[in-house]
Amino acid sequence: MNKPVNKVVACAALSFGLFCHAVWADVTEYNVQLKDHLFFPSRITIPANQKVKLVIDNQDNTPEEFDSFSLNREKVIFANRKVSIFIGPLKPGEYDFFGEYNPNTARGKVIVVHQKQEAPDAN
Amino acid sequence: MLINTVILFLRDALPILVLVVYLYVHLPASKLWLVWCFLAGALLSLIYINQIHVIGQWFDGKGIELSLWLSQLLVYMLTLVIAYELCRAHSSNKHILYWIAGLMVSLTLVSKGSNFIIYFEGYLNQNNAIQSILLGTFLGLGICLSLAILLYLAAHWLKQRLGPWATWLLVLFYVTGQLVSALPLLVQVDLIDASATAWNSQHIVSNEFEFGHLFNVLFGYQAAPSIAQVIVYILALLMPLAIFYWLKLNLASHSGNTQ
Repeated sequence: MNKPVNKVVACAALSFGLFCHAVWADVTEYNVQLKDHLFFPSRITIPANQKVKLVIDNQDNTPEEFDSFSLNREKVIFANRKVSIFIGPLKPGEYDFFGEYNPNTARGKVIVVHQKQEAPDAN
Repeated sequence: MLINTVILFLRDALPILVLVVYLYVHLPASKLWLVWCFLAGALLSLIYINQIHVIGQWFDGKGIELSLWLSQLLVYMLTLVIAYELCRAHSSNKHILYWIAGLMVSLTLVSKGSNFIIYFEGYLNQNNAIQSILLGTFLGLGICLSLAILLYLAAHWLKQRLGPWATWLLVLFYVTGQLVSALPLLVQVDLIDASATAWNSQHIVSNEFEFGHLFNVLFGYQAAPSIAQVIVYILALLMPLAIFYWLKLNLASHSGNTQ
């Protein structure tokens, strides 16, 4: 009588495990600094078809808004604070981003490339 | 700094003005609600900005995105309440409409207006910035007000020709667009996974340019929307239309039977 219940519990546990894996799976971090209204590095190369985390450290004494139309992202970074933004999975190509409050200087690109396949083991 | 200020007005002041214009045309008689909701919105924006670092720490650093998205969702739900009040043609309590409209404008003021406070607070004390910021403010406000007046005339004409449902439809298009535009907020803090792009029309109308901004405000145009955004847009637009059309027919037949 308990068997159907056990199956349901097992399925729920499996689904929860898969959900947790999807949510808390390891995501590569990329650090970007914002100083004197300039992003450094201004070109960030990330692998295609992978979700990554950009950690942006605003070292200026003024706020900035990280903005990108092609990435569809928008986040205010307060003075001397760090923020995290998840991007991807993305197709190979170049995706511009800029600081909304200083768009002439604070500019950068996310370059998405296919990850090189590891060479097969010779041994 | 001048151009930045103008762009900021186009991106953040225009959505507030568009909603105000639509509701101003939609609601009959008294316009006193507008003054009160501007005051309430300004006060709420100041409180929100004052507490933004605390809110930002909520839900493991996802508090700002969640609060902004929830406020858009609430504005969308309030639009549905306005439609329900329209269905009840003989509703005795018209004051509720003013409260709803006031809350909608106040929430929009908090989510969009807080950007102005951050910008002005951060840059007004910089050397040589005041002149450019003031000039940018006048230019930005001028452009936004001109567009708002044109929209007012268009909405007024539509209401006279087609009735109050036409202006409600404008509000529905606007709030659906804003709701869908706010969806990437949840994606960027990894609350939902919706990065697959449905299409890319950057080469036709880019979101970076004036028409892209305007279309985004009017009906939520995105040059490269995700599949999730497209699905949410269609559902958020069509479901209330179907429900209220059915409800209106039902209420009409019910009132016909009672007479």
